Amino acid sequence: MDFQDYYKILSVAPDADSKSIKTAYRKLARKYHPDVSEHHEAEEKFKQISEAYEVLKDPQKRAQYDELREYGAQSQRSSGGQQYSQSTYGNGDFSDFFSSIFGNPRQSGSRFGADSFSQQGFSQKSFSDQDYARKGQDIETDMPIFLEDTLTTTSKSISYSLPHRDTHGRVSHVNKTLNVKIPAGVMDGERIRLKGQGGQGLGSAPAGDLYLRIRLVPHPLFDVEAHNLIITVPLAPWEAALGASLEVPTLSGKIKLTIPANSQTGQRLRIKGKGLLRKGGHGDLYAVLKVVMPSSANQETKKTWQKMADIAAFDPRMEWRK
Amino acid sequence: MDLNAQYLSLEELCYATQNPSQTIIEIINHGIVEPEGTGPETWVFNTQMISVAKKACRLHRDLGVDWSGIALAIRLLDELDQLRNENQRLRKRLERFLDE
Repeated sequence: MDFQDYYKILSVAPDADSKSIKTAYRKLARKYHPDVSEHHEAEEKFKQISEAYEVLKDPQKRAQYDELREYGAQSQRSSGGQQYSQSTYGNGDFSDFFSSIFGNPRQSGSRFGADSFSQQGFSQKSFSDQDYARKGQDIETDMPIFLEDTLTTTSKSISYSLPHRDTHGRVSHVNKTLNVKIPAGVMDGERIRLKGQGGQGLGSAPAGDLYLRIRLVPHPLFDVEAHNLIITVPLAPWEAALGASLEVPTLSGKIKLTIPANSQTGQRLRIKGKGLLRKGGHGDLYAVLKVVMPSSANQETKKTWQKMADIAAFDPRMEWRK
Repeated sequence: MDLNAQYLSLEELCYATQNPSQTIIEIINHGIVEPEGTGPETWVFNTQMISVAKKACRLHRDLGVDWSGIALAIRLLDELDQLRNENQRLRKRLERFLDE
């Protein structure tokens, strides 16, 4: 367990007044709050900031901490780091360091298990403890789904880590595996709620919920645009010029596609009903054409190109000459 | 999977987010969450709304921002999210044309 320099965490002087501590906290909270920050360590940083503020905003806790800090500065200078054994986001407990000074806030009744954040105990003002039993913590986790699997209702196995509190209030993590039915037609970012599959409640209170956030796995061939799919179709110059009949992959097997003569790069051909599932049917698949050149040409091909150059009278840069 | 678990009443939402109904009504009055139904008794919330309500409560509590500020923040975060997604999508589309 390492010493936590709460002043350093909030970037304030040890003699800072409560107003500047609050300002520093607010500023850092806006920067690192996991709901607004893309910072890869946002969650961890926000926890540290919250913990520091929890102590420094309270004159009694701050005095207690200052005393320890003075002592710590003498005896623990060598450790000095910011690391402490902390549970992952979603568990919400403060560091061992915090607990060693102020006890386990959950047990002393100041914390709330509603949500990943609400357990941090730094503002219970917004709700009254009496109003609700202490429901277990909600867990939110990503659920990767292949595009192919969205066409029908599928059953997926999901494993996640769950904080478990023993009778002494100690928290450990247990792994849990569930079989989940993923309804057909799910979209990226959609959430599925599994009631009672989150963290255990306090005492007789019910468990929290599990939220699965659907993440569509990027497909090597298909891009997603709402309920439509896009496939890029490479064409030889002569296929674009003369037209062609091709086999094009879709999510559910191959289909025949007719390329009209004189097609262009970027042109979109609609293949009706071969997109993703949506209410009352399917979206469409768009074939976007891309004319590609062969990487090399032999003498004879070169001659043919030259012949075309002589007779085609085509100026692709006409626009520049206006 | 209990499909009814996907839709909540006001009371259930209060319990799921561990907030009193005044807080949830505040969130609705600011248009942060727009439930279906004509009033508190008939309101129905879907899973997406639960997430937004939870996020609104967290931001309100942790950042000390009033509800109008939260409404604005959530709208902007939403837009940012959409733009990021669109940007990623367009980049991927572009890559398919530029890779060779």
